Amino acid sequence: MSLARPARCLFCSFSRAASAVPRVPRRQFHPSPPSLNSKPKPPNGPESELKSLYQISREMKQDDFQPYTEEEKAGLREVYTPEQIAAIEAGEAAIDPKDMADQFAFRTDPMKLRYLDDFSTIEPGVDKHVRAPVENTDYDAKMKTREDFVQDLAQYFMDMPEDASAGHFVRFLENVRVTRGKEENELNPHSALVPDFISPGESLTETGKVTKTIFTDAVQKRLGEDLTAAMKRLIQDTGYSEQHIRSLKTKALVTHRVVNQTRLGKIASTYSLAIAGNGRGLLGIGEAKSDELPDAKLQATYRAIRNMQPIPRYEHRTIYGDVTGKVGAVDLKLMNRPPGFGLRCQHLIFEMCRAAGIHDLAARVGRSRNPMNTVKAAYQALMSQRNPDDIARARGKKLVDVRKVYYSGRA
Amino acid sequence: MSLVNLSHVCSHLNNACKARLAITSIPNSNLHLKLSHALQNSGYISSVIRGGPTPPPKHTILGTPTVSDGNAGVEPVTQDNVASRRLWLGLKYWQSEPVLGKMTMISKPTRRITIDVTGLRQVIRGEKYQTVEGLRSPGENLYLSTDRGIMEARECVEKQIGGLVLCRVQ
Repeated sequence: MSLARPARCLFCSFSRAASAVPRVPRRQFHPSPPSLNSKPKPPNGPESELKSLYQISREMKQDDFQPYTEEEKAGLREVYTPEQIAAIEAGEAAIDPKDMADQFAFRTDPMKLRYLDDFSTIEPGVDKHVRAPVENTDYDAKMKTREDFVQDLAQYFMDMPEDASAGHFVRFLENVRVTRGKEENELNPHSALVPDFISPGESLTETGKVTKTIFTDAVQKRLGEDLTAAMKRLIQDTGYSEQHIRSLKTKALVTHRVVNQTRLGKIASTYSLAIAGNGRGLLGIGEAKSDELPDAKLQATYRAIRNMQPIPRYEHRTIYGDVTGKVGAVDLKLMNRPPGFGLRCQHLIFEMCRAAGIHDLAARVGRSRNPMNTVKAAYQALMSQRNPDDIARARGKKLVDVRKVYYSGRA
Repeated sequence: MSLVNLSHVCSHLNNACKARLAITSIPNSNLHLKLSHALQNSGYISSVIRGGPTPPPKHTILGTPTVSDGNAGVEPVTQDNVASRRLWLGLKYWQSEPVLGKMTMISKPTRRITIDVTGLRQVIRGEKYQTVEGLRSPGENLYLSTDRGIMEARECVEKQIGGLVLCRVQ
């Protein structure tokens, strides 16, 4: 990344200045730089700042093309060889600034760039990034052993000056290497991967602020001891933290004894059906069978957590339209209701709605009322809701939520 | 106005949608044609063509038969061929689901149900009026036969007319 400007910059006033520190990486959804002017313009600012590109090209004067200052030349010398500098100077001398001013124009050809840039900096997402050379790689690099670190520390104490401060030790900690082998391999390794625009801990809105969570060994160890193997697997599969899993709303809704008839006799076990939800639109159901009741409940709960899926909620309180579900002989209907109506339905559907975060609903369960099939049918009904946006897209019609329009989007 | 035939059309369209057919045909009649146009205006079906016993040729660019097809053209209806005419409807699908979800008759051949504007107002607000259930789901439509043609329930209320309730589309 060069710090000096390679050629006389005509767009200096538009382009961001090249800075010594790398720019804060920011995810870009389009190939052009986010903003050409870092300074926000006042709406009624001076006229000179509100010129169009056409005006600029029209009003370009001879004075706008000044020769390089000594400072700029020094910058160029850092990047270019003396031969290249000589060529640049020869080129500068060959062109009359008056001609430059007369013939100055912005490119209008099809291959022009869609943004203004002087190419003095490497833009993430736009430019081909500079990779560290392959020679930096050291295949024989090894992690330092405890003895090596002790030796490093001893070396530090031996080299320590008389007036050593805390900063001195911090600098040592930051600079101490953890591998043996080539220095570049650790500090500036070659990588075929695309560099991250956002480093871990950063978000789109908060760049540069990396919050590190420090887990001491003791805390890690304690966490590891508490967790069962099943819970560890659940954390691994879902990506939720243990704390988050504990905060989910879970309940074993159906449990009963089931029997497998074999030629040796009846083998009894326990069946359990559990639901899990986060109270904000996620709901899942899980079934499990085991010899012991608590085990079946736990397995069913963990399966429900794994099966959690988003459920469409109108205004985060009720469902979109009336939906029906049918499993076996259970034939039920869920109906949306106005705010404050509450959950007027049987206990199984009530529990499901509470877990999913639905607050206004009425339900009718017709024909059979088998608990297991009721839960399954209710889940099926909740999942069968149709999104109004999809309906609008499918039919090519504009659908408007009148309630939202009436309350100017604040309902 | 034969509601028996209309009931058959409703069932046939439900079956055709479930079978994921791209184009299907229904018997030609003025009632069917007007209802088909109403469905097309609501975006449930893509095309309505009056053709013969075989499906009309596809438009070269659009991929579906169209009335304004310059190349293939549409055979004009004459006294000789009117008996063999059928209405060819292009069915629509979105994300592997039929756009025309389910058509159910409200009036039955043995019992015709008419509704006035006051009742219709309740129905489009989602309330039940007599035996007609309210329109409670997003994108649900009710078609009525009025003296100004076949219209959607909301359009009827806009024009302050009632009529014979034909069918409901979900």
